[in-house]
Amino acid sequence: MKNIIRAEKVNKIYPNGCHALKDVSVNVDKGEVIVIVGPSGSGKSTFLRTLNQLETISSGAIEIDGIDMYARSTDINKLRQDVGMVFQGFNLFPHKTALGNVMLAPLKVANRPHSEVKKDAENLLNKVGLADRQTNYPNHLSGGQQQRVAIARALAMTPNIMLFDEPTSALDPEMVGEVLDVMKDLAKEGMTMVVVTHEMGFAKEVADRVMFMEDGELIVSDTPENFFDAPSNPRLQKFLSKVL
Amino acid sequence: MQLNLKSLFWNGIFVLVLLSICWLIYASGKRIDYNWNWERVVPYIATNAESSINAPEDGEIVLAANNQLVLENLSGDVIVELGNYSSLNVYEGDLIFEGDTLASIEEWRMGPILHGVITTVKISAWSLVFALVLGLFIGLMRISSNPALKKLSIVYIELIRGTPLLVQIFIVYFFIGTVLDLERFTAGVISLSVFTSAYVAEIVRSGIQSIPKGQMEAARSLGMNYPKAMMYVILPQAFKQTLPPLAGQFINLIKDSSLVSVISITDLTKAGREVVSGSFAPFEVWFTVAALYLILTSGLSWAIQALEKKLSASD
Repeated sequence: MKNIIRAEKVNKIYPNGCHALKDVSVNVDKGEVIVIVGPSGSGKSTFLRTLNQLETISSGAIEIDGIDMYARSTDINKLRQDVGMVFQGFNLFPHKTALGNVMLAPLKVANRPHSEVKKDAENLLNKVGLADRQTNYPNHLSGGQQQRVAIARALAMTPNIMLFDEPTSALDPEMVGEVLDVMKDLAKEGMTMVVVTHEMGFAKEVADRVMFMEDGELIVSDTPENFFDAPSNPRLQKFLSKVL
Repeated sequence: MQLNLKSLFWNGIFVLVLLSICWLIYASGKRIDYNWNWERVVPYIATNAESSINAPEDGEIVLAANNQLVLENLSGDVIVELGNYSSLNVYEGDLIFEGDTLASIEEWRMGPILHGVITTVKISAWSLVFALVLGLFIGLMRISSNPALKKLSIVYIELIRGTPLLVQIFIVYFFIGTVLDLERFTAGVISLSVFTSAYVAEIVRSGIQSIPKGQMEAARSLGMNYPKAMMYVILPQAFKQTLPPLAGQFINLIKDSSLVSVISITDLTKAGREVVSGSFAPFEVWFTVAALYLILTSGLSWAIQALEKKLSASD
């Protein structure tokens, strides 16, 4: 099967000299769920953000669905429509209702007709369990509800890949479950997902592969069973002993 | 109850202070042996005094086919129909010379002060629109990553903010106005909107920069290009943030518009000056002019507050 994401020897060096990513190479198949874990500052979020060019890379190559992200002919706005992103801080548009948040990109980017977009958006909100919250503004929703709206918003452009940047880290503990449930449903539907998270339970249950990053390096990439039950790398062992 | 009494007491103090200030003004007015004549100002605001209809050119009064008197000029064209006027000063067959009184009419007319108010409103409204558009563009240039755009906007802002408006009005009217053959009103609008736009640009910049970075990232990650993300995500939020400082700036604009009187635009201030020399009631006229400015500025401030309230639905 062809890789839907191909990252080859990606390096990211910030102008202040900080070497955030060191030769990170990752291939993701269609429908795969990848979970990236690691201590904070290990570059996992940075790597995720390079996959839709919210961060540019210093060297290396990234291909999404066979398209070279840094080729001259590539329209990054077009490519981003195929890669949904969910943020740690939700980043919902506060001046739009839940429905308005989901509808904005299909209306303004895809220029689709209003009635059709509205119907799709209602279905998406229904799917994340927020059918009764359509007219609420983000400030009137709980964190878990906001994050579910954010997922619906990212899905509105019908992406093939979904990126999750610590989607539950800013949530109160009792709301983590509802967001993870939505993500599990997505994974079951065969969505290609790259998830940066601290939720080891989610990684064990849903991931096809779990990756461990530290100091900008991708150190381990393995199935959840091997990753959690028989870690061979001493740095991973040390990390797991702290978080489990 | 305790709290209620306390607030009642301090509200009483507030009213007392206001009343004593009013009394002080009144008392000092009495002291200077000045004859207050407020009714003298009224005709300059609006009047229904009789006004005469004068002949625009030479001619003769004739009876038209519909049995009404008209003024015909020497080549036989009808130039004034007199049927609508109740008190006529002329009769059929009269020979009329340019400037003769044909009839008089009694109706409410705006005095020079109201005409001044209208000019002030017009000049402020045009300047407000242009200042907003120009300020938005300069503000967007100011946050651009393109060095040319950015530096141009900084030079513009520093240049405009660093020189007095009065001097700018003179330069626009006497220099640019001469080069481009501008009318007074246009020159006034240009100088006011250019001046205000520099401040609006800084307000826009701070408004945009106050929107969290994640908003732009979220918009871009949905596939929006930069202009779309600005238009649909960043600017609507920034607009809400910048309404209070914008209101202040636009109130300043209305007040600053009084400076265009130096290039002979008959705005409220210039009208006031003219009326003073005609009415010999300088104190009353200037208090009236101040009150009219206050009505204009508080009207604007009220409108912006209403808009703010409307936009706060999402808070």
